[in-house]
Amino acid sequence: MNQFLLQTTYWVPLYGLLGAILTLPWSIGLLQRSGPRPAAYFNLFMTSLGLLHGFFAFVQTLNLEAQEVLWHWLTVADLDFTFAIKLSSVSVGAMELVTLLSLLAQVYALGYLEKDWALARFFALMGFFEAALGGIAISDSLFLTYALLEMLTLSTYLLVGFWYAQSLVVTAARDAFLTKRVGDVLLLMGVLSLSVLAGSLNFPDLYVWTETASLSPTVATLLGLALIAGPTGKCAQFPLHLWLDEAMEGPSPASILRNSIVVSAGAYVLIKLQPILIVSPVASATLVGLGTVTAIGASLVSIAQIDLKRALAHSTSAYLGLVFIAVGFQWSGFALLILFAHGISKALLFMSAGGVTLNTNSQDLTEMGGLGRKMPASMLAFVIGGAGLIGLLPLGGFWAMREGLSSFWYEHQWVTGVIVLVNGLTAINLVRVFRLVFLGSPHAKARRAPEVPWLMAVPMVSLAVITVLLPLMMQRLSLLPGWTYLNQEAVAVLVISGLVGCAIGAGLKLNRSGDTGFYPVPKAFRNLLAYDFYVDQLYRFTVVAAVSAAAKASAWFDRYIVDGVVNLVGFASLMAGEGLRYSISGQSQFYLLTILISVGAIGVFLTWSLW
Amino acid sequence: MLSLLIWIPILTAILVCLCPPQHVAGPRNLSLVAIGLTFGITMLLVFQFDPISILPQFAESHAWIDRLGLTYRLSLDGLSLPLVALNALLTWVAVYCTRLDVPRPRLYFCLLLIINAGVTGAFLAHNLLLFFIFYEVELIPLYLLIAIWGGSRRGYAATKFLIYTAISGILILGAFLALAWLTGVSSFNYDLLQHQHLPLTQQALIMGALLVGFGIKIPLVPFHTWLPDAHVEASTPISVLLAGVLLKLGTYGLLRFGLGLLPDAWALFAPWLATWAVISVIYGSCTAIAQKDMKKMVAYSSIGHMGFILLACAANTPLSLLGAVFQMVSHGLISGLLFVLVGVVYSKTGSRDLEVLRGLLNPERGLPLIGTLMIWGVMASAGMPGMIGFISEFIVFRGSFPIFPTQTLLCMVGTGLTSVYFLLLVNKVFFGRLQVPIPAQMPSSLFVLPTVEWRDRAPALLLAILIVVFGLQPHWVLRWSESSTTALISSPALVAEVDKPTAPILPRVPAI
Repeated sequence: MNQFLLQTTYWVPLYGLLGAILTLPWSIGLLQRSGPRPAAYFNLFMTSLGLLHGFFAFVQTLNLEAQEVLWHWLTVADLDFTFAIKLSSVSVGAMELVTLLSLLAQVYALGYLEKDWALARFFALMGFFEAALGGIAISDSLFLTYALLEMLTLSTYLLVGFWYAQSLVVTAARDAFLTKRVGDVLLLMGVLSLSVLAGSLNFPDLYVWTETASLSPTVATLLGLALIAGPTGKCAQFPLHLWLDEAMEGPSPASILRNSIVVSAGAYVLIKLQPILIVSPVASATLVGLGTVTAIGASLVSIAQIDLKRALAHSTSAYLGLVFIAVGFQWSGFALLILFAHGISKALLFMSAGGVTLNTNSQDLTEMGGLGRKMPASMLAFVIGGAGLIGLLPLGGFWAMREGLSSFWYEHQWVTGVIVLVNGLTAINLVRVFRLVFLGSPHAKARRAPEVPWLMAVPMVSLAVITVLLPLMMQRLSLLPGWTYLNQEAVAVLVISGLVGCAIGAGLKLNRSGDTGFYPVPKAFRNLLAYDFYVDQLYRFTVVAAVSAAAKASAWFDRYIVDGVVNLVGFASLMAGEGLRYSISGQSQFYLLTILISVGAIGVFLTWSLW
Repeated sequence: MLSLLIWIPILTAILVCLCPPQHVAGPRNLSLVAIGLTFGITMLLVFQFDPISILPQFAESHAWIDRLGLTYRLSLDGLSLPLVALNALLTWVAVYCTRLDVPRPRLYFCLLLIINAGVTGAFLAHNLLLFFIFYEVELIPLYLLIAIWGGSRRGYAATKFLIYTAISGILILGAFLALAWLTGVSSFNYDLLQHQHLPLTQQALIMGALLVGFGIKIPLVPFHTWLPDAHVEASTPISVLLAGVLLKLGTYGLLRFGLGLLPDAWALFAPWLATWAVISVIYGSCTAIAQKDMKKMVAYSSIGHMGFILLACAANTPLSLLGAVFQMVSHGLISGLLFVLVGVVYSKTGSRDLEVLRGLLNPERGLPLIGTLMIWGVMASAGMPGMIGFISEFIVFRGSFPIFPTQTLLCMVGTGLTSVYFLLLVNKVFFGRLQVPIPAQMPSSLFVLPTVEWRDRAPALLLAILIVVFGLQPHWVLRWSESSTTALISSPALVAEVDKPTAPILPRVPAI
């Protein structure tokens, strides 16, 4: 029985898909009399079933060797599509985490979107989302992973565009799709080249191939860069990071998943690709470079945001930047640990933020304040989430960062500086947001805000408990070092950076006038950060302008040159006919002359070679 | 058996003409039954078809005009089978989504049926002249269908279509005649000509004529400008047929006659063809971005996506040719779906303008299900995995990459551009606040769009489901073609050993 459950682990993502399909009668409006709730219940049931199934499978994997399940999909000509599914404690555990967070987010959504007429559509998308994410966790085939990443792009587009009647949402959905798509198309180029070069697209085969591969440096570099492009888009790393910030216009339950596990899915794929990336030192260096730029840049940008969800979203990019650095230096352990800790804490922070957004009908930090007494549970969740994210108290974030510090303590020491900086800046940001939202005197929109309803409180409190217990879980999974191995200097540096960050955050002079002025720096610099280094403007004047100019130019060319020539030929022949009409004069001499000249011309032409 | 596929529609066309005029629904129902019947027969053939064999199957051969070398010779192989099935399916869809109150129904359905017969005949013909006759047979009915039932500039568009296709026909006929004369064979039978060998220069000349001839039909840049005009002016069912099936005659012809009969010239031209494919793809996609008319946008996207097929044909590997056939099916289904949906939007809102329409996904007053299906079709076209567009393009790219890496990568940029213009379409027309052109005399608060009936949605749903089913089970399409496409690239000499000509070699005729 247990073996059967393990072998059929791939059903777990399918449960989510089935749930999505079951909601169809409601989401397309066939069944309206019952209201959209039954659809949500179907989905919740399927996800719970998946969670249960996954749990039994996970318990099995703990004391078994990793297994591969192969599935022959298609064999054509010299191309063989065999999908591999990997059943190891890490992959099944990741899938279980996805399902758990999806379940929590779905219960949360039931409360958050209580009055939304499109609840069923939301749950359909969530089921689809969950299926793609769960599939990525257990997939051991690059082709399958690519396909699922694209499904993720599609469902992100539809979830961000959920409230499609609002103009900001429309642009956000467009940008989310297109930026990710750029990464995906580049990734597809990489996948295609790998498929030709290596012959197989299953990760184990690719790893074997990498060891003996002899590629020219150019090919290797291009391949490596193409492969990291996909995760760069998915993880919202510079220069493909714009979408995550804009996506905060979407519904909060989806933001919970997007900021915790969707970005992690991209990073997870990157970690799986990492053994292949060693063919190209340039790709690894690029990873480190992008990660560093994003980690520091996004941490700074997040401090200047006055939108509650955007302030948190930029910090997601920053943490994923750390993951990129880790993968670039081949420290996958650190990368996985930080994904794990960040995913859970960030989900909790977003649950808290979602409740605040719902009950104040605002995402603007300058309009809040004093919510601590009215929403104690949400406040507590925020505190726990924040503590779990930064390296101060011995929660998830602390252990993850400690792992990072000890990894880079002796080699590439500058990375420890980046980690410490990110830690400190995140602490500043979180304390700043906390003060703006929960402390101080209430503003108009915060005055009547109640605590969130139980459907949102239950998942939030459960996740808070999980966040607190995370170090225990890590210990059970032997992810934590023993006390004797603890690098005490590193721990001290980490704790001090967290403390300093919190202190600065607590001491900042807050300005609620709607300006971005939170700290004593010139306004130009503050605006630079608040508008995310004007990267969107940069794109508008470069890539977008170039594509639209090319489109306009080719449309003009098509209309006036290509079609112009065609119409000209038509016009000329009509005119020629019109003109020749007048040669029919009735004079036989003229006809004779015409015939003579024509025959003469033909004669000259035919005898041309004899002359 | 194969003759039935051609003659059932033709006989029904005659019957339709004889229908008493008071039977308004008669022509439509008759056509539906007839095309349904041919589709049924095609399915029967599919299941009797032997996918392993590379020989032409269900062959029929009757002498017709011996002195011309014209034989009525039909047979089916893996190359034509999917296209014949696609033709029957899309004609059925086209008949089904014709307006119930279409003016002059008898003539209309008669012409549709003749097109169906002509296209099927062209796919089945194994005699070059017979192919040419069928290729020309669909020309006049289509001209009339655009010129009579078209939009405001129908005269211009129809004439342009007619002239372009006539030139294409002349070039192809010229190439066929040259082929027969230069090889000195008195018959135009395909399998006979397949075993002839011409010097490279002659092959190249004939190839040039074929390329331009079929290039107009595909269409390849710069011979494409008839297509957007024809699509914009044609009514929805005609657009479905035009994009879904008729364009495939061009790529089919290139594969069958260009690659099949002139392998040396093909090898010579292949790098140029691949580059031409890239130009077509990028040019078509870029131009699509700037379009304001939904139908024009879909038409230009067709130009881009047909370019993938040329790339695959140029690469000429077993995988890429299989991909080419698959991409033909995939493009047929996807562009059929998109045209059906644009047609519904046009018939309900009275506009196709990207600058006018907004927010059609609106659940109560808009067209939510049509919008959902549109997103579906658009994603399929942009190559979303799980749908037929992705796997067909992947096979094309995977097959072409080892031969033309740069060109393949550039073509993949085209798939990225596809998502740009189609996303613009969805974002503008379906997202946002509802906005449709409102008749002048009506106050905007009272205006509601006409309800979308299930009969409007049914054809789109059918195509959408097929797109996903074949996307998840591409094997169901691919298995019929694999041996035939592989056989196509093996040298004719090799084929000759397996595939002995069965028709009697006709006596040499002095002149034609």
